[in-house]
Amino acid sequence: MNCNQTTEQLDDYLEGDLPTDDRALFDQHLDQCAECRAVVENGQTLLADLARLGEMTIPTPDAGFYDRALAKAAQSGVRKQRNRWVMTGFSGAIAATLMIWMVSSVFFTAPQMDQPVIPTVTMALEAPQTFNLVFSSSEALTDASMTVTMPAGIEIEGFAGQREITWMTSLKEGRNILPLTLVATSSFGGELLATLRHEDDNKTFRLQVAVI
Amino acid sequence: MSAFDNNRNASFETLLKPLLDRLYRMAFRLAGNKPEAEDLFQDVLTKVFPRLDDLIEIESPGPWLCRIMYNHFIDNRRRFARQRLVAVAEDQLPGEGIDSVPGGTSPEQDAVQEDNIIQLENALGKLSDEHRLVVMLHDCEGYKLTEIQDLTDTPVGTLKSRLHRARARLREILETDGTK
Repeated sequence: MNCNQTTEQLDDYLEGDLPTDDRALFDQHLDQCAECRAVVENGQTLLADLARLGEMTIPTPDAGFYDRALAKAAQSGVRKQRNRWVMTGFSGAIAATLMIWMVSSVFFTAPQMDQPVIPTVTMALEAPQTFNLVFSSSEALTDASMTVTMPAGIEIEGFAGQREITWMTSLKEGRNILPLTLVATSSFGGELLATLRHEDDNKTFRLQVAVI
Repeated sequence: MSAFDNNRNASFETLLKPLLDRLYRMAFRLAGNKPEAEDLFQDVLTKVFPRLDDLIEIESPGPWLCRIMYNHFIDNRRRFARQRLVAVAEDQLPGEGIDSVPGGTSPEQDAVQEDNIIQLENALGKLSDEHRLVVMLHDCEGYKLTEIQDLTDTPVGTLKSRLHRARARLREILETDGTK
């Protein structure tokens, strides 16, 4: 065995992975070559230092860090919704008009409030589809809350398993759009509720979702 | 908060708590410093919460979570690349008040060994992310190559080659720096 070969096989030698015969040749070479003995010794020191680096205690988290992190993660769905959906203001005088349309083409307008007819949309199983809910407000308003409650078997994309999501928002004067990307995980369908609340005022919009 | 939400939060906490130390350690090894490790740690918990139903179904959630953390780290590699292990002040070294090596070495020997560790951290910081990670996980944390394969979805043969090249590169750097 020559020095080039010992260099190539160094890591296998240090890890004890060389076959018996090769190891014997390696040891024979070390007996005769001071330079390779130094290389092996440096290699052993490196592995020992790396192991020691790993054994050092890593910084411990501050008191309460884990609890805060878990709580923050659980709140993350609310925070994500607030960041993603820009709704800027919402008045106590909630408009009576609800317009819903699918991203692709279809447009629905809810009738007057004294003729409640629940709009129906149809979606395919396991195929995400976005619906835009439009809330019209006569004035801007802050510190409102929006709660969306899904029927069983319907989920908001990205929030698997969550039947109800609530977040704080605000609405601008005029039209405010809430896009909802829904996924049907079963063929049951059902009624989706979207409730806007502000102070003592609230309004619930209903959307019947059929799954084919 | 509804009872539904309370139940989900409690389940999440119950499932995650036994794994948090391991995840925290992994985050630190990946990120290389405490602030970014804690960002990475938080990001992964936030990412996992909506997948609570998946988490409940998994028999060994530890490796699954580590893999999510690794993939998230790689996805954000640019942000962490500037925070690789570099020479830091003594009070920023992991484990404040580093003890002497067991066995009763002299203060002079302790000082030399601490210098070696600092030099090693510098050298690790000069490796590519791929080389640094395989060395950190295998040689520092003691992960087997098969475990790293599961974590990174990289074949064992590739990992072995990468490890050997990384160690060779470390030896070159340390020799150039005059340590070894």
